[in-house]
Amino acid sequence: MKHIRSLWKKHKLGILITVSIVAIIYMSPLLWMFITSIRPTRDIYKFPPTIIPGEITLNNYVYVLTKMEGFKRYLLNSIVVTTATVIIVVVASAMGGYAFGVRRFKGQNFLFIAILSVLTLPYIMYLIPIYIMEDRLNLRNTWWGLILPYVALNLPWGLLIMRGAFSTVPLDIRDAAVIDGCNEFQMWYMVLLPIVRPAIAATTIITFVFAWQEYLFASTLMTKNEWQTLPVGVVWMRDELQTLVYGRIGAMIILSIIPVFILFLAFRRFFIEGLREGMIK
Amino acid sequence: MRESKLTLFIFLAPTLIFVLVFIAYPIIYSAYLGLSEYNYASDPSPKFIGFKGFMNTIFKDSMFHTAFINQFQFAIPYFMITFLGSLILAILIDELRYGASFFQVLFYLPMIIPLSLVGVTFAWLLFPDVGIFNHILRRLGVKNWNIDWYGDPKTALNSLVLARSWKMLGFTLIIFLSGLQGIPKSIREAAKVDGASFFQEIWYIVLPNLKPYLYISSIWILINAMKTFDLVAVITQGGPGMSTLTLYYYSWKLAFQRLDMGRASQVAYITAAVIILFSLGFSRLFKSETASRM
Repeated sequence: MKHIRSLWKKHKLGILITVSIVAIIYMSPLLWMFITSIRPTRDIYKFPPTIIPGEITLNNYVYVLTKMEGFKRYLLNSIVVTTATVIIVVVASAMGGYAFGVRRFKGQNFLFIAILSVLTLPYIMYLIPIYIMEDRLNLRNTWWGLILPYVALNLPWGLLIMRGAFSTVPLDIRDAAVIDGCNEFQMWYMVLLPIVRPAIAATTIITFVFAWQEYLFASTLMTKNEWQTLPVGVVWMRDELQTLVYGRIGAMIILSIIPVFILFLAFRRFFIEGLREGMIK
Repeated sequence: MRESKLTLFIFLAPTLIFVLVFIAYPIIYSAYLGLSEYNYASDPSPKFIGFKGFMNTIFKDSMFHTAFINQFQFAIPYFMITFLGSLILAILIDELRYGASFFQVLFYLPMIIPLSLVGVTFAWLLFPDVGIFNHILRRLGVKNWNIDWYGDPKTALNSLVLARSWKMLGFTLIIFLSGLQGIPKSIREAAKVDGASFFQEIWYIVLPNLKPYLYISSIWILINAMKTFDLVAVITQGGPGMSTLTLYYYSWKLAFQRLDMGRASQVAYITAAVIILFSLGFSRLFKSETASRM
């Protein structure tokens, strides 16, 4: 008995069990959506509900992927908008991060803090004028109409990460490049960018995750169904199809998460580092 | 190498263009809209009225008052659950001998799920009749238990809090965990040698050392608590009645359903003012510690 207790204490099994139970409860919403998505419709709406699925089927997934043109369109919109946003944010923040992290100029800190404060204000302050602007320029219900504001909203975070990375590059590396006859652009491109690769990865994954899930701008600026992204389109589907479709809704939700989940697993170190960097500094 | 003004400008140009067009100009223009009367459907251009619009919103608009109160009724439990939940979880995960990184990935997972789809998921979970949450409560012995969580004005707002906290927890967990990792093991060992219990160790050693991180996560939760849009739009649309009408959603509704851009901007600006005031308040509260550390 004593032996077991000391083992229990040494390995802190009590804490392990507590955390495990919390984790199971915490994961249950997602798990339940998944279970719903692999059940036949008649089981989903059985009353009283059963927790353990009796019959497992992939019909909902097959239906979503083959019969729902809308879903494919949302997926396409999400991929195009997110990818374009990521590319522009990475390029712009790699350039701006260099300016803020390496160069010295007047008003530097003020400008940087002003750009960062973007993150704290309610986005609807930007959305109202952007809506009016895009309405006049016929940018609503186009890919660019979403990409451009997304870049602006994600740029501050990217700048924060890239500035941090550039400012830690040792001076002698830059000096060596200068002696080798590089001009400033060559130095930035060929010497510094390879060094700050982890920061580029962090910016990429964070921008991807945020752009993939954005709802406020997407739902307001993309009023036509064919231009909507996944977070908006799936909700639209739910409202449109109303009853008895939670199996398909569940399948759509799981499918919407898969691309970003794969990226998250692959790059989670950068994702967490980047968020930590951004949130704590 | 010449570090010329021109190259500096080129490096800064993309940032400046995006920030000027999509951030700075909108901030200024919505300030102007806030000082104007502007119905986007009928008025050809905004009519300047000065602070009258703000006065009307603050003192006469009863929907604004409801939204303001709701916002705090949302923010307070949201803050408590997210803050305490992630703090306790972080302390537990930090103590783990095995599987710490596995559990971190698990708890970070909701961060990547679109909030609108979190909303759909929770609405399904808390469904009346066939919803699993009511079912489990019934199984646990509450007879005939069948609450329409998002349809009942008494429970709707708190049910939104639940979904929002679920999504936010991972963010503050990151902050707390990196704070905990920064505390030297030697201080904690010393406390144990002196005979401190686990809770004494947490209270006297860990929490004081965590203070800057408590501050940072407070600020992040607070900023988030004021930006409550997605869930409201997806689950309740402000209802039932006006029980889940938040400032953010009210502003959006004014702008894009009633096309009253003036009042919408006023509400947005007041929301911003609340965020800034609270951030300043919190930084006062934690002032000495953060100034010396950060």
